Amino acid sequence: MVDVAMVGAGQTKFGNHPLGLKGMWSEAVEKAFSSVDNDCSPSMVEEAFIGSIAFGGSQLGNTAALLTEHSGMDGVSVRRVENACASSGFALRDAWMTIKSGQADIVVAGGIEKMNDLSAERKRYWLGVSGDTEWERLAGLTFPGTYALTARRYFHEFESTHDDLVHVSVKNHMHGFDNEVAHLRKDVSFEKASSGAMVADPLTLYDCCPTSDGASAVILVADHLAHQFTDTPIWVKGSGAGSDKLALHDRPSLTQLRATQLASQKAYSIANLQPNQIDLAEVHDCFTIAEVLATEDLGFAGRGEGGRFARDGLGRRNEGDVTINASGGLKSKGHPLGATGTGQAVEVFKQLRHQVESPRQVRDAEVGLTHNVGGSGATCAVHIFGRER
Amino acid sequence: MPISKSSSEHAVFASSTYGEQWAGPDGDRLTIALQLLQSQTPSTIQIDSFVNSLEYTPSTPVASIIESTTDWTVSPDGEFHLLASNSSFIVAISKLETISQWPDLSSTKPVDEQQKIALEDAWKNEIVGVSQGAYVSQSQHILAMPSRLGLHAQEDASKIVWPPRQLNEQGQRIAPASNRLDNAATILTWTRLSAVGAPSEFSLRAPLLGGVSTVLVEFSSGPKGVFMLADDEEGQASIGQTVSFEVRRLYGQDNLIHYGLKALLN
Repeated sequence: MVDVAMVGAGQTKFGNHPLGLKGMWSEAVEKAFSSVDNDCSPSMVEEAFIGSIAFGGSQLGNTAALLTEHSGMDGVSVRRVENACASSGFALRDAWMTIKSGQADIVVAGGIEKMNDLSAERKRYWLGVSGDTEWERLAGLTFPGTYALTARRYFHEFESTHDDLVHVSVKNHMHGFDNEVAHLRKDVSFEKASSGAMVADPLTLYDCCPTSDGASAVILVADHLAHQFTDTPIWVKGSGAGSDKLALHDRPSLTQLRATQLASQKAYSIANLQPNQIDLAEVHDCFTIAEVLATEDLGFAGRGEGGRFARDGLGRRNEGDVTINASGGLKSKGHPLGATGTGQAVEVFKQLRHQVESPRQVRDAEVGLTHNVGGSGATCAVHIFGRER
Repeated sequence: MPISKSSSEHAVFASSTYGEQWAGPDGDRLTIALQLLQSQTPSTIQIDSFVNSLEYTPSTPVASIIESTTDWTVSPDGEFHLLASNSSFIVAISKLETISQWPDLSSTKPVDEQQKIALEDAWKNEIVGVSQGAYVSQSQHILAMPSRLGLHAQEDASKIVWPPRQLNEQGQRIAPASNRLDNAATILTWTRLSAVGAPSEFSLRAPLLGGVSTVLVEFSSGPKGVFMLADDEEGQASIGQTVSFEVRRLYGQDNLIHYGLKALLN
């Protein structure tokens, strides 16, 4: 079967972006194509998958056609992919499957979200549309509330306290501090992160990622074209996806994400790799407790050991076996919902090509993983990338 | 909240524990009536004049709400009448069509007048809003009402299923609700959302209440669910604590009030 290589990747800065949808998307695409070592242009693209929730209702219909029209991909077969915050993780998977199946040789996957030019009221409405609207939301829950329920239960079931979440926050802010595309470039002390304003008890402001504007795009090609575009392609070694009950209360466990487990098992199996072979992982830390769960569900820590993993600093850059969220993660780099998944891939692309500016480069990075979750865990896409085919 | 009751020769009366002038932060004549009905031996009841006394229109028919929540049957020829005072928050069940003398029902809980006025204003403003909350279709509200208000549950291969589901893993349609969950459950986890963390449906009222609390509970028959906590001004939830449930106002939207069960700490 065809192997798939990533030959280009680019993104806008995440944060409060001055540009709108067309401007941000075209910037991400421009950067992605300019990152390809040899000649490659948008007109060569055969298929495009663009993840977005269309936050705020802006160009809710035919979003993707608008974006390709404004980025030199006029006429391409394109569609919007929507799986909440995992939209572009699934766009990436769709692009990978399209090449794998032989339907196309050059495919763009990306994502976009414009979140910060809405009123606070309208923003809160849109932040809740991906949860279980019928039962959870009418019980007062948006995602901070859902993850707060998970965190309190996790502390109850395991030897863990809120301090463990503070360690996650401090680490990710430390990683993101030097990332020029990160939304929140702040070095945050343990004391400061311990004393944040309460959002959803026990989660404070420092446990929650920001809402960001941003766009990201990657270029995937079939194996026979990879070296036409670059001498250092990054191979998509595995892709997996899974889903779970939409509402937390319908799941057997409140402290595990089955969708992550299913997705990562598939991805590891296809890649023929084990968790201990991953050098860096960009995991979906929309809330700090989500990173603790992810380290367990992805196999980096044992069940109930995610808190200790964070406490011991095992995910810090170049300190443990695996660097978790070298980019700063959603917590620091930011979370423009639809753009997050392929934004993670952009970071891994650069890390594995050893093109990240000092001091952010993960030493001897050979294999990287991205983990993109939709909502409170209803959907998840995991990808594994490597320098070796 | 427990209701205050009194009775006369021809009627039994109820108000909220705040007394006849207020039904509480998320109460109204209908929530008081439901508790009064639940406390009496079920029979048949007429509700026409009661429906006209409601301040706002419920999102689903009052008769359906009553029959989902209680064992009473609403009928135009009902043996009893459900009645409400137009000048106070007192509700009555009587065999008579009208009440000539409404009683004085004193409060057992102090009323914060400023908060009361602020909350009443918040409801007024909230209900005229359009789609400020995530949209749930009217048909879905109506179809799920017995489960939402009455904890009606399905059974599939000896497993109790709630909230309602359509097909099982074999692709077979799960039979309609034939069970009712206990009106008690155990807290597995909980959170208190600040006004910032609460959904937009509650954005006007949450700041006045100092946030909103939500509990995730497990029923003894297996299903789990999430409920907003009510009347928790003086208590805080804890894991392992038990709760019971009452129908309260959830939110207002498009000129309709949506009702649902809220949890009360035992």
